[in-house]
Amino acid sequence: MTAKRLRLGILIGVSGLFLLAWIFPILWSLLNAFKTEQDVLAYPPKLVFSPTLDAFRDVLFGATSILPNLASSFIISIGTTIVTMALAIPAAYALARLRIPGKRWAGFYVLATQMLPPVGIIIPYFLILRNIGWIDTYQGIILIYLSFSLPFAIWLLVSYFEDIPFEMEEAAFLDGASRLKTLRRIILPQVQGGVAVTVVFVFLNAWNEFLFAVVLSGNTVRPVTIAMFNFVSVEQTLWAKLAAVSALAMLPVIVLGVVAQKHIVKGLTVGAVKGGGRR
Amino acid sequence: MSARGQVQLDGIVKKHGAFAALKGIDFEIKPGEFFALLGPSGSGKSTTLRILAGLDAPTSGRILVDGEDVTGADARERDVAMVFQSYALYPHMTVFENIAFPLEMAKRPKAEIGPAVREAAAKVKIEHLLDRKPGQLSGGQQQRCALARAIVRKARLFLLDEPLSNLDAKLRLETRVELKKLQRSLGVTAVYVTHDQEEAMTLADRMAVFMEGEIRQIGRPADVFAQPNSIEVAAFIGSPPMNLIPARYQDGSVLIGGRRLPTMLQTHGERDVVVGVRPSAVRFEADGIPATVEVVENLGDAAILDMSLAGTALRARYDRFPLPREGDAMGVTVRPEDIHLFDPVSRRRL
Amino acid sequence: MNKSAVAGVVAQGRRALHRRADPARIMEGRERRFAAALLAPAFLALMATTTFPLLFLIWTSFYRMNLSMPFMDGFAGLDNYRELLADPRFWQSLGVSLVYTASTVVLQVVIGLALAVLVHGMRRGQGLFRMVAILPVVLSPAVVGMVWRSFMLAPDFGVVDYLAVTAGLGSHNWLGDPTLALVSVIVIHTWQWTPFAFMVLLASLAALPDDIYEAARIDRASAWQSFRRITLPLLRPAIVMVIIMRTMVALTAFAAIFTVTGGGPGTATEILNLYAYRKSFTELSIGYGSALAVALLVFTLVVSGVLFALRRAK
Repeated sequence: MTAKRLRLGILIGVSGLFLLAWIFPILWSLLNAFKTEQDVLAYPPKLVFSPTLDAFRDVLFGATSILPNLASSFIISIGTTIVTMALAIPAAYALARLRIPGKRWAGFYVLATQMLPPVGIIIPYFLILRNIGWIDTYQGIILIYLSFSLPFAIWLLVSYFEDIPFEMEEAAFLDGASRLKTLRRIILPQVQGGVAVTVVFVFLNAWNEFLFAVVLSGNTVRPVTIAMFNFVSVEQTLWAKLAAVSALAMLPVIVLGVVAQKHIVKGLTVGAVKGGGRR
Repeated sequence: MSARGQVQLDGIVKKHGAFAALKGIDFEIKPGEFFALLGPSGSGKSTTLRILAGLDAPTSGRILVDGEDVTGADARERDVAMVFQSYALYPHMTVFENIAFPLEMAKRPKAEIGPAVREAAAKVKIEHLLDRKPGQLSGGQQQRCALARAIVRKARLFLLDEPLSNLDAKLRLETRVELKKLQRSLGVTAVYVTHDQEEAMTLADRMAVFMEGEIRQIGRPADVFAQPNSIEVAAFIGSPPMNLIPARYQDGSVLIGGRRLPTMLQTHGERDVVVGVRPSAVRFEADGIPATVEVVENLGDAAILDMSLAGTALRARYDRFPLPREGDAMGVTVRPEDIHLFDPVSRRRL
Repeated sequence: MNKSAVAGVVAQGRRALHRRADPARIMEGRERRFAAALLAPAFLALMATTTFPLLFLIWTSFYRMNLSMPFMDGFAGLDNYRELLADPRFWQSLGVSLVYTASTVVLQVVIGLALAVLVHGMRRGQGLFRMVAILPVVLSPAVVGMVWRSFMLAPDFGVVDYLAVTAGLGSHNWLGDPTLALVSVIVIHTWQWTPFAFMVLLASLAALPDDIYEAARIDRASAWQSFRRITLPLLRPAIVMVIIMRTMVALTAFAAIFTVTGGGPGTATEILNLYAYRKSFTELSIGYGSALAVALLVFTLVVSGVLFALRRAK
């Protein structure tokens, strides 16, 4: 009995340690956002301090406000999400549902496009967008974000469309509904959950993307992830402000992550579990 | 109204690559008839129904409804209603919305839809469930909802794909009766797919027995039961199935267990035959052919006896009590009119 | 109607049938047109944003193209590739890629699997783990890199440094020492993505039927035996899938390394992906950068080919 207890204790200890390891860096940087510069730099690191909102006030409303950058992040993410879904939903439906020749190849193509390293896409697209003057434009960055969001969204949505029984659609045809009406009235309402999951993922991926943003950003398109470098320079790093910016950049995705927690786990596993089982 | 719903299938072939799912299906259904497509799974009966519905297209052949060629027409242009095995209710809509959907698609005026939905719901006794979602219904209620959705539009054809197979046994019997009444009261042509010969026997005016992509026999259920035209149909229709015993035919009689049993066939000569005897047609007489009881399956009001008769198995229905015991010896015989004879090579009825 | 008239009508019908295309074709054609209309926009966008740039990339990789010296531009044939094969920095970055990918993927899977099994056995507190595991996964790798670099690994006040000093290991320049820097970026990547493996494997574990474990218990298998003989084989597809997905991501990791070390010190943490970026956008040598990107693609294909072959192997 004691040996069992001991083992249980060790297990709880080990798992607790990992829990701490995951949560600590995030919490720590959040804490730092409420510190003064001196408190951030204190040694040994201070867990107890008098919190202040100075850093947040500075980065939100100070001379180098990141509000425009937050706005920029939102424009990019929402724009990408809308365009992606508008293209991916019909395509996923067709791939999942319709009898067409070469469907396997189309599915394979969607999968294969995800193998392409992003750096291999941004090099040529940098040249192209430079030529047509689309560097530092939203249309430019949203267009290229389709390269990763679209295959992902199609792939994820297909798995949801496939879950709807064929007979549901056939019943609608026999009830006199056209294909388009069937899609709108019968199929789409049933994949709402899947669409929501996909929206969350596309939004997250667009919000978090960095490589394309580094290359294509400028004065107009300047998401938070890029703007946080304003607070880091060789001469001086503004630690507390950097922590505040990080916190603001993390906030939307953490909120989204916590709210859509169950969906996210499903979205992550659809590819892995289903894909592992069938393909 | 009664002139609506005449169906003719003409040489329907369906191929999936080299495999022929349907090898040429021909039949005609009269307006108002209850027509069953009966057969084991994979026999092509569901494929035939789907082709009739317009969900699949035949590789060749023609489908005529009320004399009009609808072979290439879309499902939605055919004016047919269908009840699916899984019911295919729209889970995000209420029962009312489910039943109203076909009317909405037909662009009926709003004022007309409400009463029509309620009327259809009343016919299948689910008027009190109109606000529920399918997920909140029992299996039987879902089935009724699917029926209501199919009858609300008063389509000229009413297709049913194993509509009772997802119900439990008791409910299945009740619904079967109601289904028949419903069809009669609507006077609509019904095409009913089932693998359950009892369902087909009780419901259908006529039925087509499907096997391996072909129709083996068409006729009134009683006729098919009484005169199966091949060994396969004989084995498929009836429960428990017909006993099929290889035997020797000689001048009007068959030799079984060393005895001569007279038959209705009166041709001279000698040949191999397969003798078909329904379990219910086996008669017990002390001086009959000796047989040994091996297993007694007690059904309550009767029993099925698994017997061994001169080395071959024979199942018989027995309804006298007390029941014999396993190991008992009994004498059995069959009346000439209860003996079906089949050719062992062509497998056709003689 | 007499018999011959009926026969005539039927024959007419037959002839009409022969003149027309067969009905299956008509129905399929209708479905195909609908499918094409639905698929076309997405596939055009996909081609425009993936296939077309790929072809363009291959084309530029055969050119001398330097944005700082445009007057030198011209067709170079295989020069870029010849240069690449003789470029020690390329080989080094390939090595770093290999080390980075192999170590992060192995760590993610091993830790993720162990934790998944551990948490799966818990009767309470699973929700807490799921909740916490979501956090790193949804964060931007760039922000994660920034947080680690600034508040965890900074030499004077970073928490890691403090812990190392407290543990008696002394203060280290975590991002300034080549080996420590590589270890650091590996740890950061592992930190961020182990929860992914954990969540996927936990979900797969939860999907396994209970009765096989009960059967195994009745067959008197020990906990370890039922893990080795039942859990692992059943999880294998999920594990392999996680390995494949994580490998693809690790090979093209960028943001975290970029923010933490920028590939440095020197080229100590410069994986091939980062080298291609630096060559193209820091040194503006687009032609050579393209060749590096093509090399990365080839490397990715080879690795994934090996992984998919392994998946099919058993």
